[in-house]
Amino acid sequence: MTPAHLAFLILALPLATGAVIAVFLRRCGGLAAILSTAAAAFVCGGAFWLALSGSRFEIAKEWLSLGGLTVGFGFAFDDLAALMLVIVGIVGLCVHVFSLGYMHDDPSKARYFGGLSVFLTSMIGIVLADNLFMMFIFWELVGFSSWLLINHWHERPAAAAAAKKAFITNRVGDFGFLLGILMCYWTRGTVQLGDLAAQASSGYAVYTRAIPLLLFCGAVGKSAQLPLQVWLPDAMEGPTPVSALIHAATMVAAGIYMLCRIEPVMVPDALTVIMWVGTATALYAALCALVQRDIKRVLAYSTLSQLGYMVAAFGLGSLEPANGELVTSGVGAAMFHLTTHAFFKALLFLGSGAVIHGCAGEQDIFKMGGLSAKMRLTFATFTIGVAAIIGLPFLAGFFSKDAILYLAYTNNRPVFCVLAFTAGLTSFYMIRLWRLTFLGTARSEAAAHAHEGGPSLVLPLVVLAVLSVVGGYTGLYPKAFAHILELIPEAAGPARGVIVATSLTVLAVGAGLACLLYRANAVPATAGEDPTVLDPFQVKLPGLFGALVALQRSFDVLYQYYIDKIQQRFAMLLNFIDIIGLAGLVVRGLAGVVGLVGLGARAVHVGRVNAYVYWFLAGMVLLWAFAAGLL
Amino acid sequence: MNHLLFSFFACLTGIAALGVILSRNTVNAAMCLLLCLGGVAGLFVRLDAFLLAFLLLLVYAGAVIALFLFIIMLLDVRGQQRPSPRGLKQTAGLIAGAVLLAAVVGFIARLESQGGTAGSAPVGASLKLYADQLFTVYLLPVQVIGFLLLIAMLGAIALSRRTPPAA
Amino acid sequence: MITASLNAYLILSAVLFAIGFLGVLIRRNTLVIYMCLELMLVAATLALVAFSHYNRTIDGDVFVFFILTVAAAEVAVGLAIIVALFRQRQTIEVDQHDALKN
Repeated sequence: MTPAHLAFLILALPLATGAVIAVFLRRCGGLAAILSTAAAAFVCGGAFWLALSGSRFEIAKEWLSLGGLTVGFGFAFDDLAALMLVIVGIVGLCVHVFSLGYMHDDPSKARYFGGLSVFLTSMIGIVLADNLFMMFIFWELVGFSSWLLINHWHERPAAAAAAKKAFITNRVGDFGFLLGILMCYWTRGTVQLGDLAAQASSGYAVYTRAIPLLLFCGAVGKSAQLPLQVWLPDAMEGPTPVSALIHAATMVAAGIYMLCRIEPVMVPDALTVIMWVGTATALYAALCALVQRDIKRVLAYSTLSQLGYMVAAFGLGSLEPANGELVTSGVGAAMFHLTTHAFFKALLFLGSGAVIHGCAGEQDIFKMGGLSAKMRLTFATFTIGVAAIIGLPFLAGFFSKDAILYLAYTNNRPVFCVLAFTAGLTSFYMIRLWRLTFLGTARSEAAAHAHEGGPSLVLPLVVLAVLSVVGGYTGLYPKAFAHILELIPEAAGPARGVIVATSLTVLAVGAGLACLLYRANAVPATAGEDPTVLDPFQVKLPGLFGALVALQRSFDVLYQYYIDKIQQRFAMLLNFIDIIGLAGLVVRGLAGVVGLVGLGARAVHVGRVNAYVYWFLAGMVLLWAFAAGLL
Repeated sequence: MNHLLFSFFACLTGIAALGVILSRNTVNAAMCLLLCLGGVAGLFVRLDAFLLAFLLLLVYAGAVIALFLFIIMLLDVRGQQRPSPRGLKQTAGLIAGAVLLAAVVGFIARLESQGGTAGSAPVGASLKLYADQLFTVYLLPVQVIGFLLLIAMLGAIALSRRTPPAA
Repeated sequence: MITASLNAYLILSAVLFAIGFLGVLIRRNTLVIYMCLELMLVAATLALVAFSHYNRTIDGDVFVFFILTVAAAEVAVGLAIIVALFRQRQTIEVDQHDALKN
């Protein structure tokens, strides 16, 4: 079995599993779960084998040929793809195992696992794709499976609305993506990634700014950057393992991965735009996370913020910007942070899933508390995750975040300041979350009776915790990923000291503020039952709190206004045109004209022979005139 | 003398034709037609087509008109209204006829007038000449006419059968 | 006194034809209409014979044979149809036979 065959098998097996579940195993939830998890295990093992065996290949096959357009189907398995595939495999397997326990009592388990399998195959398709068309196809599939999974509890209107919102927002981004692909094909004649790289090195100069920005639109939609970030917080309506897999580690990271893939078409102007979009997203999301009550929403905004970091890292470019020439963008920094983020964010989400499961479905952190004693292992792993995300030294997040900060420091000081400030905010809200959830006393019945989950819930947490600790030490990574790893910027010289000092300072300030504000007795024990008890933040700084809440709601309000006032009116106008104009005038009008002509022809038949003779004479006269040359 | 004969027969034919279309009684119309045919036969004689004149009288006047009269008597229609219909139709018909006449006469008037009399030996005088043409040059039409007569006979028989009661 | 030239014969034929046509347009009795049809045929015959005489050919004359035969056959069949129609409708007014109206 050649590596190419193995790659194809990795792609096809979850798809086959999903199909089998959809057709045969609708009622057999247990069997579907086992089948799906087995497929995920195969994917993980295969990914490891492919990555570590050092085989890198590119194969392409022509799939669809329409005139001059050729849509190919191929795999481009280089180091970047290998790294991403391993991440997808590990996180996918952890989530599958976690779901075995978490969704054990769910009545429609089979649909859930089928959706997970379809998602896995779509994600692998994006990772392995070697041309933009194929990537786009799997891109849409990923969006579809995301809708399917968010919509799992479709009886709840909130879930259905959230799934719809996610899909539509993604669609808006995908529209830009498709335009970018079409423009790329039209101006450059190819959408093969390898060809694009070759063209870039030979210096291509048409529509250089429009194409990368349009392609970036796809990343804006999929990775929930400003202004299309509104779907990610709402997507928390889906089951928690889904949030862990899709909305933390893999699907939203697909946007970053795609950016790294299309790196050859980037130009400095586009990179600047990308950088600022990412920075703004990071700041906005961190601000919104400060005032959330739902544990998953805090993590969702945190994901948004970290994605902003990754996008900004990509946009910041290389260490020594070349003058006027194409710069190598921050692929290394972005991918490094993507890797570490995948591990600790998945850990945090699965941990929150364990917490929710333990508290029998409670998601409001003001109703939790005191879980550190009741759920020891979850507490330990969650703490490691929190420490990683805020950048505690020697954990994974520290190294990756510092790489990004170093990149910002050398390239763009304002961005550096914003990102550092955002790191402080991250520290604040994560510590806030940690304290309210686990420390203190139990603030509700559910929290008082919390219990540790079974082994299937705990084992993935442990695995991910270990990875969060060691994931930052690039030396530990197998040699197989060397090409990517050597792109990671490593701080050197005086800048190193500045970076470390900055990151430690903001971490301490943020954590200190959080500890101060959320002291052990700051939130009374009655907060669980008494809804009038406010967040201490709100009590101390009501103006700021109100402003942040308004900030969070602003986008939704804006979009709702647009939909209600502009889009609905336009839709009604089109409806009117359709009913009156098209159906009425054109369709029935034409039929009416035909009917009139028929009536007219009918009236000529009077039935009397004499009349017909007159017609005969008229015809004869006409022919005569014609023959005589009068006509 | 020739011209006198021509004028006489021409007027006879014209007036008889008018009589056909204007007479109230159907039998009168048939008789006028007979007279018209007689005039035409005279004209044929003047054109040296003696055989044809004879044939015309024999076949047309003898058989066809007779058949008409039989049917008129058979159908025995009573209560004839006035022959010419109301004002508008009459005018329209007159205009139509006038148009037709004008068209044809206009056509004819453009022809070079052949003028003069017949002159030399009459061409179509003997039966032998006709027979010669009919059975050599026009053999195919003769055969087709034979078929046509057969079919007409069959058609007439089929049409005049009363439908059998047990069909 | 009308000069007996070819034109005269042709004009006479045209007049006969027009009269016959007029009769078809005006009269409502089916039998009279039929007689006017015969009149038109006779007019055509006259024209043919006139042509054949003045062009010194025999073809026009020979054609008259065919016209006579066809006219005879046509009258036979046509009258049979009229009789059958009379049996159905009890009338031979053309105005009454308008079953194909509209």
